[in-house]
Amino acid sequence: MIELHERSRRISPSRIHEILLEHDCKSVTDPFMGLPTHLNYLKGHGISVHGGDLLEWFVRVGEGIVVNDLTILRDSEVAEIVEMLPGRIYSIDMFKAWEGVFFSEEQCVYLGVWHDNVRNLRSDQQTGLAVLGLWRAFCYWLQKIQSPDDMQDIPPSELAWSYIRQTEQWVISNMRRNTIRQGDVLATIAAQKTDALFLAPPARNSFRSSDSRIWMWEAWWQGNPYFTIEHAYRDSLLGARASDGPSYARAIATILSSAESIPLIVMQTTEQRIADLEPLVRNARANVKVFAPHPYEMYLIATH
Amino acid sequence: MTLFPDTGGDPRAAVARSSDVLAWYGALGDAVIGNPPGFAVRKASLAYAFCEIANLSEAERKAAYFAGLLHAVGAIGNAAFRKGERLPERQARMESWDIPAQGARFCEELLALPAETADMVRWQAECWDGTGFPDQLRWHGIPIAAQMLGLADTFLRQADPEEALGYIGMNSGRAFSPDAARTFTMWFHMNAGEVATLPIPSDALRDEGPDAAEMLDDMADRIDAHNGVDHRWRRVADLALGAAEQLNFDAATLSSLALAAHIFGAGELASATVEDTDFDPLARLGIDRRAADAKLAADLADAFEALRPGASIVRSRAEWYDGTGKPAGLLHGQIPAGASVLAAAIAYERLARSERLDTASGTQFDPNVVRALMESAATRT
Repeated sequence: MIELHERSRRISPSRIHEILLEHDCKSVTDPFMGLPTHLNYLKGHGISVHGGDLLEWFVRVGEGIVVNDLTILRDSEVAEIVEMLPGRIYSIDMFKAWEGVFFSEEQCVYLGVWHDNVRNLRSDQQTGLAVLGLWRAFCYWLQKIQSPDDMQDIPPSELAWSYIRQTEQWVISNMRRNTIRQGDVLATIAAQKTDALFLAPPARNSFRSSDSRIWMWEAWWQGNPYFTIEHAYRDSLLGARASDGPSYARAIATILSSAESIPLIVMQTTEQRIADLEPLVRNARANVKVFAPHPYEMYLIATH
Repeated sequence: MTLFPDTGGDPRAAVARSSDVLAWYGALGDAVIGNPPGFAVRKASLAYAFCEIANLSEAERKAAYFAGLLHAVGAIGNAAFRKGERLPERQARMESWDIPAQGARFCEELLALPAETADMVRWQAECWDGTGFPDQLRWHGIPIAAQMLGLADTFLRQADPEEALGYIGMNSGRAFSPDAARTFTMWFHMNAGEVATLPIPSDALRDEGPDAAEMLDDMADRIDAHNGVDHRWRRVADLALGAAEQLNFDAATLSSLALAAHIFGAGELASATVEDTDFDPLARLGIDRRAADAKLAADLADAFEALRPGASIVRSRAEWYDGTGKPAGLLHGQIPAGASVLAAAIAYERLARSERLDTASGTQFDPNVVRALMESAATRT
């Protein structure tokens, strides 16, 4: 049985926007962006955004909604993604390992079909939008495993159609340069000179307990149902090298010192973890303000 | 300027006034968005009932009530509804996604509200699957009370309760969490889809932040900014109260007039036109618009005891001294004295050349009022 995490940190882009406005910031870097809907919000409000992550599907979605200013998916293109196209040979057994364990036979076939169709799209932007839409359909299935009687049976293609169609509304332009990269945290910070750094650092060894809605979708993107995201983090700053407390603290300190030239650091954390992170931020910056609207949503706002 | 009669420092009276002003805020938000009258109170009551079934604490239920009441307050001043440049449909829709966050910022300034209210307003339109707005929060990142507000909104917007039941069931796991959809189903079967409106839980208000008079000042400024006539009410109030003093109005009428100056602009919130720029204040053209705006502003305020004295003045501000005005065609002394002064002050404030007001003396305006207004304005300049 799959565990869907009940409590997670909350990232509220409207709140981050308020903090950035207060400090007159026009650009922001987020090297642990995850699903970059928050960067898209900031983009929509005129901030130039630069994100990075190690997971490729996050990066693909970022290309679709953050970098992309124009490309959308039209009805005919959505239809080519959600259904099996006649004449094309599909690797429908690709996700057979999940059949009967997590999903039905039909769902596993669709996962294989979508995996192939998405790779035939013309642009990275289209791919990003499709991945985002399909992920929401995937999350619906996982949720339905938990609440089978409370949720409707919606045909996979219909569910995917409605979600992909919806991604159109997130495509916007802010007439600024916005970038997304797949890379470790220090590479993302070094790549752009921005007014602010937004950090929502993962907890120590958190990749080992990642939400199934995240790691399974990376596995889908890689086309490998046995994939675990530990591989993706292995050689990163906060990967295996930071598995013990002191190493983790050293890694965070390295990040903060690499951001020396960035005027504002906003670190998002939770009540549970603030005691570990606050001393590190205070060590790196002279002025640190704690803004704590909620136990799952706390911000350390640091300036020189 | 004194807005309310002295109650000898009775804290209950102060809380009752603040409650009335908050409820008026809710009605204004609905007027901007185009919701039917009473929508905010129904949404607040329904959210409270859902929170009760979801076993939330009483404090959270009351906070949810206030969040429901003020759900649309962020629409006042929102670019999608603000007077001025008309935005393309897509851009207007995107601007309207900011209504919850703007409403939350507004609620954060009202320290009397329960602390949780602002975030409930902020996240009332989030969807369980992350496709809501403004923050695209997903799953358990959305507070349960905010989900209840979303449910209440959806239910009230459906034409038929049975349709709403089907729609919410279809959206279980998408717009709503399965738990929230289950909560709704339980409420529906317990209450047969009937919404019982509840009184404002005034006891949850804290004795902090701006009082009712300051809240009215602030909202009047926001209304004028929304209508593209910054601080108009302040100029109108200054003129009107100056003239009223010349005419030796009693203290109660002065208070009512001051209240009326705060609330008359609310009538323009729902219309696309702006009286101030679209019509000559001395021309008959536009009188229907003025009367409709006066009626709406009066109706919005009339429901609340603290604002009622001002409402009766605003309602008659489109009447003409010669009996040819609207909506009732009142003649001479039938027009409330405060309304005569308010109408003349609004026109005077708009006119580039003040002597033009003389031309309407005896027809549109009471000659005594015009004289007092001119004298008072001359003294003030």
